[in-house]
Amino acid sequence: MVLMRSAGPSAPGEHLASPVTRSVLTIQQHMLIAARGFLRDRGFTEMLAPIIGPVTDPGARGAKQVDVDYYGHRYKLMTSAILYKQASLTAFDRIFCIAPNVRLEPLETASTSRHLAEFHQIDVEMAGASAADVMLLAEDLVRHVVRQVCAELPRELDQLGRDTGAFAGLLSEPFGRLPHASAVADLAGLGYDQNPAAEIDWAAEEMLSRKAARPFFITGYPKGSRGFYDRESRETPGRLCNFDLLAPEGYGELCSGSEREHDYAVIIARMRETGENPAKYGWYLELVRQGIPGSAGFGLGLERFTRYIAGLDFVWQASAYPKVPGVPLP
Amino acid sequence: MSALRAATFPAAAVRERAQAGTACVFPDLAEYGQAVFGADPARLAEQAADSLDRFRLVPPVFVPGRLAKLIELAREPTYRDVGIESAVGGFRSAMPVYVSAFGSTRTASGDLGLAASRQAGLLGIPLVIGENVMPVNGYGRLGGDAGLTLVGRIRAYADHVPDGIGGVVVQQSTEDADAEVWNCVYSDPNVQHLLESGRLGFELKVGQGAKPGLGGMTVLTEAAAERLAGAFAMDRLFGGATDTVLRCASPGTFTEEILRQQVRLMRNNFPRARVWVKLPPARDVRAAARVAWEAGADAVTVDGAEGGTGWAPLAFLQHVGLPLGECLRRIGEHQSCLLVSGRVWEGARAAKCLALGASAVGLGRAALIALDADARTGLVNLAECLALELRMIASALGKYHVAELSREDVWLPGE
Repeated sequence: MVLMRSAGPSAPGEHLASPVTRSVLTIQQHMLIAARGFLRDRGFTEMLAPIIGPVTDPGARGAKQVDVDYYGHRYKLMTSAILYKQASLTAFDRIFCIAPNVRLEPLETASTSRHLAEFHQIDVEMAGASAADVMLLAEDLVRHVVRQVCAELPRELDQLGRDTGAFAGLLSEPFGRLPHASAVADLAGLGYDQNPAAEIDWAAEEMLSRKAARPFFITGYPKGSRGFYDRESRETPGRLCNFDLLAPEGYGELCSGSEREHDYAVIIARMRETGENPAKYGWYLELVRQGIPGSAGFGLGLERFTRYIAGLDFVWQASAYPKVPGVPLP
Repeated sequence: MSALRAATFPAAAVRERAQAGTACVFPDLAEYGQAVFGADPARLAEQAADSLDRFRLVPPVFVPGRLAKLIELAREPTYRDVGIESAVGGFRSAMPVYVSAFGSTRTASGDLGLAASRQAGLLGIPLVIGENVMPVNGYGRLGGDAGLTLVGRIRAYADHVPDGIGGVVVQQSTEDADAEVWNCVYSDPNVQHLLESGRLGFELKVGQGAKPGLGGMTVLTEAAAERLAGAFAMDRLFGGATDTVLRCASPGTFTEEILRQQVRLMRNNFPRARVWVKLPPARDVRAAARVAWEAGADAVTVDGAEGGTGWAPLAFLQHVGLPLGECLRRIGEHQSCLLVSGRVWEGARAAKCLALGASAVGLGRAALIALDADARTGLVNLAECLALELRMIASALGKYHVAELSREDVWLPGE
């Protein structure tokens, strides 16, 4: 993969008519079919995620939410479906949705090659599951989708110049698991100064990703780096029971997930720790007070996953109508 | 005649400096050669109530620091050789001074706020923009005239500040977290120049000097109150005859863990912005400052109980919170950046704060009054007076950078 950081999307007509876009969107369609089949076989019910609501996921690093004037009430476009995924478990024990998300990301993300202001996630939530359970599920899902696309679309992958040999490790071996603290130590070894109390930053993720031969999980992020709904380890306070899944070859993060907090008082305290005002989460807190099941889940970024499978330079190539942060495109 | 009043503040002296500049550092020139001078006993009695005023700055006879400077310069140094450029909360500042956020009052929300931005920029000192600006005046990105909005104020600062110096700090407290002020600023194209040059910061407002333990308060008209009713509590306290309502923000709930994690989250979410934490003059100010510093705050700002530009209950103004001098005493020795405010307007009080552990002092009321006296250069004049006095005091103490001021330079009677 060669990064051409300056390139941006062309006008919609040209972008849509390009053979590259056509191949990429074909691959994406097959990925969705494969993902839906896999999750249905595992007993998951597909639901349609809401697009607006009085609150949304506050856990998106530095991104601004989009306000909507909903009959005089301030509503938000969904930055992720997390709160609704937890709520949905009162209907079904295992749910998923292909959810649209909008995040006004910081402008510096325009040059990471892997941020879009508008994107989709394959969002999965499972009652009674642990972080380890859903990591295995995410691993199986990714492997299944890659296998299906390689089997069904060799011509498209070939046209895009994607060497499917790159997936050998992914298809045959378990994904690695790297605790956050070890990732910080590895980065120090590479001469990179990563704040141990924070998310692995974008440049650092890319460095770790380049070193890897197959996808791997970074586990146990420090508190203070994620939203209030990621459960804090009872055994190791200060560590969250969460994970990111990173693709190899420098593609970086594909997916974030966690075991969820569902204790009312803990959620209130965690909201304050993350600078949130509990008053605006009324409906959610009421539901939590009545009782929601413990769960774990993840969101797998569809465009990022597509970029990885298709071997694209930029994530925007995996969107029919790409919104690169800060760039006003249709 | 100006409208802004400050009955509990040496407003006349601040106005004089704002209008006449550094001549005001001395007694009236007309008295020169005609009178003898000395401390005013009435002023001394008045000062006894303020713990910081009771300290005196005491120069030594033996001045090895002056010898070092003499060797460096190959001539006797004067006060003009004192360096005052300072590190202030992760920024370079032309002097150990910043403009603190003005309280939620009508006085600060008009043109004075914009004048403050321009003049703080010209001076090359950091400027804090209060949490009230965005909810009351708007953000200002969409629509034509940015004017008094948050963007308007940031732009006014950025247009006047010299390269490589200064910084803008945007405050947010519990309830305006809903408006995502920081997220909005961090991703705004208007702010990228400051962000990329390391001159953007965010201040977490834990509390304030004038009413520690309470949230922000503003008196609004009924119409304005209706507009903000969803976001803030409104209290109709002023009787049926008035058309006014008290807007009360919540102070926000903090524990050690909540403060620690909020600071970490700020660093995580806004890695290129500086992080400031504003503490009230609380009895556990030392513990809170330590938690903030250890979590990675670039600066802790402490507002003494004598501080405050905004509306507060009389009981709080007279009886609640620690005076600034006591805050400094409780915080004691530390190696981090401590910024303090509370009745600071001239160089002696500033020098005492620096000697007692502060890295810089904030101008709140003094800045507002100076701007009210002269909207074009009032703050610049006031700051230049303060800088001149700081240079004179430091040189008298045998020190040639203000950062060298330390506990040995002050004496508390009775100690």
